[in-house]
This record gives sequence, C-alpha cells and structure tokens, in this order.
Amino acid sequence: MSSLEVGVQARVVGALAFRALLIQTRKAQLLIPTFLLPMVLFAVVANGASAGSRLRGFPDIGSFVGFIIPGTLVQGTLLAGMTAGIALAGDIEGGFFDRLLTAPVRRVSLVLGRLVGTAVLAIVQASFFLLIAFIAGARYEGGVGGVLLTILLAAITAVGTGGLAAAIALRTGSLSLLQSLFPLVFVLLFTAPAFFPRDLLHPALRAVAEYNPLAYIVEGMRAALHADASLGSTTNGLLAAVALAIGATALSVLAIYRRTATL
Amino acid sequence: MQRSDDDHAIVVEGLVRTYPGGLTAVDGVDLAVAPGEIYGFLGPNGAGKTTTVRILTTLLRPTAGRALVAGHDVVGDAAGVRRSIGVALQEAALDPLMTGRELLALQGALHGLRRGEAQARGSELLGRVELDDAADRRLGTYSGGMRRRLDLALALVPRPRVLFLDEPTTGLDPASRAALWREVRRLNDDGTTVFLTTQYLEEAEQLADRVGIIARGKIVAEGTPDALKERLGEPTLHVDLCDDGRLEQARGLLERFGAVSDGRAGGLAVRTPDGARAIAPVVRALDDAGIDIETVEVEEPTLDDVFLAVTGQPTSSEDTADVPA
Repeated sequence: MSSLEVGVQARVVGALAFRALLIQTRKAQLLIPTFLLPMVLFAVVANGASAGSRLRGFPDIGSFVGFIIPGTLVQGTLLAGMTAGIALAGDIEGGFFDRLLTAPVRRVSLVLGRLVGTAVLAIVQASFFLLIAFIAGARYEGGVGGVLLTILLAAITAVGTGGLAAAIALRTGSLSLLQSLFPLVFVLLFTAPAFFPRDLLHPALRAVAEYNPLAYIVEGMRAALHADASLGSTTNGLLAAVALAIGATALSVLAIYRRTATL
Repeated sequence: MQRSDDDHAIVVEGLVRTYPGGLTAVDGVDLAVAPGEIYGFLGPNGAGKTTTVRILTTLLRPTAGRALVAGHDVVGDAAGVRRSIGVALQEAALDPLMTGRELLALQGALHGLRRGEAQARGSELLGRVELDDAADRRLGTYSGGMRRRLDLALALVPRPRVLFLDEPTTGLDPASRAALWREVRRLNDDGTTVFLTTQYLEEAEQLADRVGIIARGKIVAEGTPDALKERLGEPTLHVDLCDDGRLEQARGLLERFGAVSDGRAGGLAVRTPDGARAIAPVVRALDDAGIDIETVEVEEPTLDDVFLAVTGQPTSSEDTADVPA
C-alpha cells in the first residue's frame, strides 16, 4: 500500500471514528449505558459494599472507591464495546452499512474506524470516571503516569470488547442478538475481581477469574493507579488487554471479509 | 459499429444469482448500457431488479456470468467499480442522527477527499439539490423528498461515471418527483450514465433512452420506449354504452375482437391489434344487437401495455427488494 493510500485510509478511519462518536453522543440508547450504568453500579457498590473493605485480606489503599474504580472502568469498556457492536448491527440492519460497502474503501478501514471510535470513547469515559472517583475521595498514588497508563489500558480493552461485539454484528447482522447479549457484560464483570480482591472471591469465581482476561486488566489498572504491585501486575494487565485487542480485531476483520465474500 | 466491452458503461453477460436455499433471482441476464445513456430497468415484484443492481454495485456476488461497470469487473476489480460509481439505493439508508452536511462530509472522506475538499463538494451539492437551508438539520427531520434529494447528492460526491438509482422516486409527491427527474436529466446532459430501476413506467418513459424489462430473472423485452410500444403494445378501444344493463351482453360480443376488460367509468376496454380499424366492426356488432353506444375512443399503447404483455402483471403493485429475507 502506497503512502498516499495509507493517508486516504487513515482519513477514512478518522471520519468513521468521528461518526461513531457523534452517534454515540446523540443516541440516548447508546450514551446512557456507557456513562450512566457504570456510575450507577459504582455508587451502589461504593455505598452498599464498602463494609467489605474491613474484611481481613482486603488491601488497605486508603479509600474503597479508589479500589473499585478500575472495576467501573472495565465495565465502561465492556459497555462501550457492546454499544459499538449494537450501533454496527443497526447500520447493517438499516442499510447504512451498504452505503459504506459501495465506497472505494478497504474493508479493514470500516472495522478500524469503528474500533478507533470505541477507543476514543473509552478514553473519555475513563477520564470522566476517574475524575468522579477522585471527587468521591479516591487518591491515585501512581500519579499522572499511573492515571495515563490506566486510561491507555481502558482504551486498549475497549478495542478488544468492541472488536468482539463488531465480529458478532458482522457475522449475524442482528441488532436484537447484540442487545440480548447485554447481560453478558455483568457476567464477565463479576467473574473478574472488579470490586473485590481476587483472594476474597468465592473459590469457584476465583477459578473462573484465572481465565478471564478482564481480571488481569482490572488488577493491572489497580496496580498502576495506586503504584502498588501487590494489587496486580501492570505488565500482565497490558499483555491481557493487548492480546484481547489483537484477537478481537483479527476476528472482526475476518468477519467483515467473510461477510462481503459470501454475500 | 460494434462497441467493445470497454466502450460500454455497463456490460452484463449471462448473469446468474442463486441465493442459499435455491432461489434463482437473476437467471441469465444480458444487457449493455452505452456511455451517457439512461437505461430504465423495469420489472414486477421479485423479478430480479434489486439483485441485479446489488451485483452491479458490488454488494452481491454473481453465481455465474460476468458484469463490467465502467470497464471494471464487479468481482475481479470491485474496487475499480466502486471508484467509478455513485449509488442511491432503494429506501435511502440515511443515518437519522446525522445532518445532511455531516453525511456529505463523511461520504467525501469515504471517497478519498480531504476535509476541505469534502466540505466544499458537500456545500456545492447541497445547493444543487436545494437543501442548503436544511443542511444542518438532522436527517430524522427530513421529508421523503428531501431524503431522496440528499441521497442523490451523496451518490454524486465522487463525480461518478455511472450512477445507479434504485427506485429514486418511490413514495414521492409529484412535485418532488418532477424535481428529481430534472436533476437526473441535468446529470445525464453532463455525460453521466444512469442505470435507473423504477416501478413507475411514466418515469421510464420520461427519462430513459432505453428500457429493459426483467421478469422471473430474465430480460423479456428491451429497446427504446417507442420501439417497445410499437412492437409489443396493443391499442385499446374504450367503449361506453348508453345502457349499463347491457354490459355483459356487449362483453360477450366484443370478445372476438380482443381481450375485454372493465374500462373507464363503467364501460368496456378491448385490447386489439387492429386499433382504429376495429372501430367500424365493433360499432356494427353492437348496433346489430341493438346496443346503443355513447362513445368509442382509441387509446394508443403505453409502456404499461408493454409491461403487461411481457410480464403478465400490471404495474400498480408496490415493488420491493427481491432479496430474500
């Protein structure tokens, strides 16, 4: 691909990412889940489960909200990804996707535009959630570097969750199927140590968490935010997020080529 | 002089499309469209029109046969086809949450324009389709006619050599339809080839240089509207009686002249190849039976007659996409 072609495709990705964000902000059905739901759960857990922080084995990091905010960030990335898939399925069902397919654009750019938009959304989300938690009393001992690393983890994770949802949308073209998968967000969230340390999870959940990449990501965020290696490994978190993002992007790119090749 | 494939805007040879499940929507279509031509593509419900358009615009792959658009093979060089075409599909798929200007800017980016170029092209096209005042309104607030005009503007962003319009005026009021026709003629005057599918025969008569009629996946008639009418249409005699009580008796008498159906205002309509020459025998036959005639009128064949003759179906039904659910 020539540098000129790369420039054209970069503009396409940028324009599609901009559109994805535009729609996200204008459609309550997409905006509310991505910002309001994580905040509601954050408030519920912060107020209803804070006594848990007095349990033996719960890490002492100064504030319970500081401990649970990575769980909120990961929930945000799951919802950002899910709504990206829902928006894509809506484009397919409504015929807008056909408009994109008749344009002289590489198929991979159509997927990347959506995923870049999801990553930018996750950056905005994560910044907002971290600010709210800070106002609520959380302190980030990892400093600016820790916060930026956490936001980067959220963006990469959102590419992964968005890629998985996009792959499902492209394979099925079904808006209702994507909507029916919404509860899966909470299954994935609660089988990761999102709001409690892994050691305090039920043994069965702990066993499942071993295989849940979100567990490593949430612990990696926690370690980065609080500059405390006992809370998790930022390296493992980054590896899990990158592996999820690469795998999911590959799946969604395969899905769009398969969709267009078999039409 | 015979044109080669490269000289044509569109060449289709032996095109077949069978869907999973076995339905063959397009069954051996051949057609050729010259550069600068407006080709009207007609057919009843499920005849294969939309499937053909979707193949020509690279949205579907053919099962067999080949199709070239602007010299590019729709399978082997789909990217080349996409660089050469503008597409306004049936049921304009416009994002209701975007404004007209935003969507035109996106379309510009999809066709490789830089931001400034895309904005300038968008403004130019908004003016051309008379949507300047609504440019910054969300599309959810647009009327059907405005949506169609914007859809046309979107199709024109890349300055296409071949423009596909799939039922561009379905559901529009007469004024909006006339405005869109004017724009299509203007585009054609500028040299754009137009492949127009429509369910309105009047639209095909008004716009198309040539017409192809597809039925059950095959082209069953093709030519200029006048040639088709001359070749396949039959004049109709409209006979109005003084006494409607003799209608059934008259129907029986007139059946030997041609196909008889209910005519306008309670009279009878006789489709006959003899046209005006049949007036005297018809009058004589009714007179001999003591049936008084109020009026007899000859109507020349229309494209509707051609359509009915070759497809066996009238054109009044709402046409829909022939892609299986």
